[in-house]
Amino acid sequence: MEQLTMSLAPARTSQKSAAAGSGGESAGSVTKRLSSELMTLMMSSSPGISAFPKSDANLFEWAGTIEGAPSTIYAGLTFKISISFPSNYPYAAPIIRFVTPCYHPNVDIVGGAICLDILQDKWSAVYSVQTILLSLQSLLGEPNNASPLNPDAANLWDSPEDFKAQLMKHYRPINDEGSA
Amino acid sequence: MATDALKRQIAGKWQNSFARLNRDQEGIVGLLVFSEAWTLATEFLHPRDLNDPAANKDWDMSQVRVAVETLSRSKMLPLLLENFLEDMRKQQHLITRDVQQYISQYEEAEDIHHIARLIYRLLEWYRAWVPISELGHTILSAYTLTFQTHVYSILPPSFSRGFKQLVNATFEIGMSPIAPPWLPPTPPALQSLVPAPRPDLPLWGAFEQLGLLDRNESLISSVCYEHIEAHILGTCARRWSERMLQPMREWMTNKIVPWMVMPYARGARSAEEARSMLQGVGSRFDFHVCKTLSDLRTREIFDIIIDFPDSQPALEDLKECLQRVDQRSQLVQTLRKANRKRLLHPGADTKDILTQYVSIIRCLRLVDPPGVLLFKVADPIRRYLRERPDTIRCIVASLVGDGESGDSLVDENEPIQPLQQIQVEDYTDPSWEPEPIDAGPDFRTNKPSDVISTLVSIYDSKDLFVRELQVLLAQRLLAITDGNFDRERRNIEILKIRFGEAALQVCEVMLRDMTESKRIDQHVQSQKNMILHPTIISRHFWPPLQAGKFVMPGQFKQIQDDYAQEFHAFKQDKKLRWLPHLGTIHLEIELQDRTVPADVPPLEAAFIELFSEKDTWTVDELIARVGSVDRPAALKALATWVDMGVVKEGAPNQYILLEVAEDAATHPRPTRMVEEAPAVLTVEQQQADQMKVFWKFIEGMLRNLGTLPLDRIQTMLKFAPNYDRTIEQLGAFMEAARREGMVTVSGGMWKLSRA
Repeated sequence: MEQLTMSLAPARTSQKSAAAGSGGESAGSVTKRLSSELMTLMMSSSPGISAFPKSDANLFEWAGTIEGAPSTIYAGLTFKISISFPSNYPYAAPIIRFVTPCYHPNVDIVGGAICLDILQDKWSAVYSVQTILLSLQSLLGEPNNASPLNPDAANLWDSPEDFKAQLMKHYRPINDEGSA
Repeated sequence: MATDALKRQIAGKWQNSFARLNRDQEGIVGLLVFSEAWTLATEFLHPRDLNDPAANKDWDMSQVRVAVETLSRSKMLPLLLENFLEDMRKQQHLITRDVQQYISQYEEAEDIHHIARLIYRLLEWYRAWVPISELGHTILSAYTLTFQTHVYSILPPSFSRGFKQLVNATFEIGMSPIAPPWLPPTPPALQSLVPAPRPDLPLWGAFEQLGLLDRNESLISSVCYEHIEAHILGTCARRWSERMLQPMREWMTNKIVPWMVMPYARGARSAEEARSMLQGVGSRFDFHVCKTLSDLRTREIFDIIIDFPDSQPALEDLKECLQRVDQRSQLVQTLRKANRKRLLHPGADTKDILTQYVSIIRCLRLVDPPGVLLFKVADPIRRYLRERPDTIRCIVASLVGDGESGDSLVDENEPIQPLQQIQVEDYTDPSWEPEPIDAGPDFRTNKPSDVISTLVSIYDSKDLFVRELQVLLAQRLLAITDGNFDRERRNIEILKIRFGEAALQVCEVMLRDMTESKRIDQHVQSQKNMILHPTIISRHFWPPLQAGKFVMPGQFKQIQDDYAQEFHAFKQDKKLRWLPHLGTIHLEIELQDRTVPADVPPLEAAFIELFSEKDTWTVDELIARVGSVDRPAALKALATWVDMGVVKEGAPNQYILLEVAEDAATHPRPTRMVEEAPAVLTVEQQQADQMKVFWKFIEGMLRNLGTLPLDRIQTMLKFAPNYDRTIEQLGAFMEAARREGMVTVSGGMWKLSRA
């Protein structure tokens, strides 16, 4: 079943209606896809990125953790994110927000929304949680200042010391009661 | 103050009394006769001193009778009785003195003869003082009562002990043809009771006359109980190879019942009467026989089970006893205790525990067919076995009949049948019976199923067995060198019947791989004659094999490659992946002065091949050449050659080829302990690998969700593939992780340690 729907992937618009039409079937295959992504993510051991479903009852809501890559301005900081998968995943991108306030040109400091092309119009079903997390990790070090969500941050980017000061002003370290 | 009326009244009374005593005779003749009679009677009745010969007068019994007659007519007998009892009281000190004398003798010597003499002496006193029967029944019973009251009041506590011993002695006295010298001969009056006069009869007679029997009834029965116990313990202890209950009952009939006639049926006039009198007490004693025997067998039950089936008669006895005596719970408790103490401890071999468990099953089925006892006893054993890591392996090994061990758990005669599932009760069955009354709430009706089903049911699923079976089969198949798989095939066929076709499909594939290998090899050999004969296995169907990743050097590599090429030509779509550390290689090593033939594992062959390049190698160089080999394995391989005298250890970690043999006598070969590393990963190793995967998940959830309680972790782990651990197992695992410093716990909440 999974392979069958996967082969239909390019036909995007028709896919959405199909997903809406046969919710039960697609929910089953989405769950299967998410389980296998979880398995891959768990076994891959990529440094600094991780995610896990928030509860055993709902596989569509995940909590994630991204550590700033070494030798970037975000090094040593850990950010929590929330990942919410749509019911027609992977044909639509998951909705991802920063839970930890993140002072970054492409991140909304208040709502945590992220401006990243692969999460919007460049999304493809071949992406996975792991690739998204890796993209986000690299986005931290290499912002796209051309389309900023946070113009102040974009302006400050070139003066690292001031940027760091602003970053640390907003940053809150993860405390332990973050249990979902 | 005396009025006339009073005077008249007194005069009337006197007149009356006088008339009664004088009996209307002339003058005071009657009075005189009465007086004489009174004196004679009181004198006759006066309790005399046995020790005083002078007191022993001869009496003219006709005179005495006449005197008594006179007194009776004058209605003076009550007065006479009072007078007599008063006299008795005055003389009682004589008895007291005698009793004290005998008792002190007894206490000194602890000899029951003194007690017997005491009893006879008391009897003498009793007989000497007894009033004649003409005085009537009242006076006799009043006398007996007074006499006994006095005797009992002066007998010290040590008398009971002596009496008990004396009664106990009657078992032997009664059986022996001649009486001991201290017993008087049997009085003829008692001889009519039993056909042959018994030496103990007078003693019983004495007991009865003194009222000792009624008074000490419980004491006498306790003597009998003890006698029965002693006999049973002496006869039956550790004698399990024959039925004992019946012989014991016969012994009761032959020995105890005749004895019982004395204390319990002494008044019986006919055999019929005696039987009815003995019935109650007899069944009490029969019960005691059963109880003693069942207690004895209960105490011995563990050893009886060990001796099974030689001890089967003992179990049949026990079964019969248990029907009469309700000792079932005792049996369960004793056996459970014995099991805990003697079986379920780390010192016992799993195989022994299983063997004993199987014996317990067989034995308790015999004793209690419904299986209630078995269920109660088996529960702790099953729980214990479940915790032992090698239980499954032992069961599986006995399933496939390891051959060498000999005593297989499975009875050869037992028909091979499919595993039985727990059956739902069939209430439409006309011969349905309710659960026994002492069955526990979780008792499952254990239909007589075969032993293997019972063993397999220790675990909740038979999958574990099938997995272990694969591992075992893999080990055995790889160990076969002569290409004869008939035995394994037969085993698999048998197991198919038990576990079902589907479960053993994998095993079937493994077997086919072996024959297939042979076929492929024949083909390859026909194309190109080669000295390599590989076993080709389908990786997916075999349990994981020990991964060894070394590269065979020199000619071996060449041979492997040639073979792979031929194989590829034969099977286009398949590729050979070598497991270089498995198998054996026959070598002939040509040295300057000698040729050494050897059958060795591949690593050894690889090393000696390298020695053909140069004569001196260090261990590290050798390891570097073959790829990844761990050091102990390398050292072991080298040790093989050192033992064969092909290489020797020069400097530490350096080995030199001996082109010319050194004198073998100079270094005696130490006997080498070879521990074959199993080629197949055991189920435990597989589980450990699986646990690594689960740990990744636990790490992932704790990293992203912060702290979690154990039950959340358990439910979240359902995301992990094939997660089948219980929460207890998870708890133990988390505890281990905590000791490793990977997680911390506080208030039941688990948390990743900060790296």
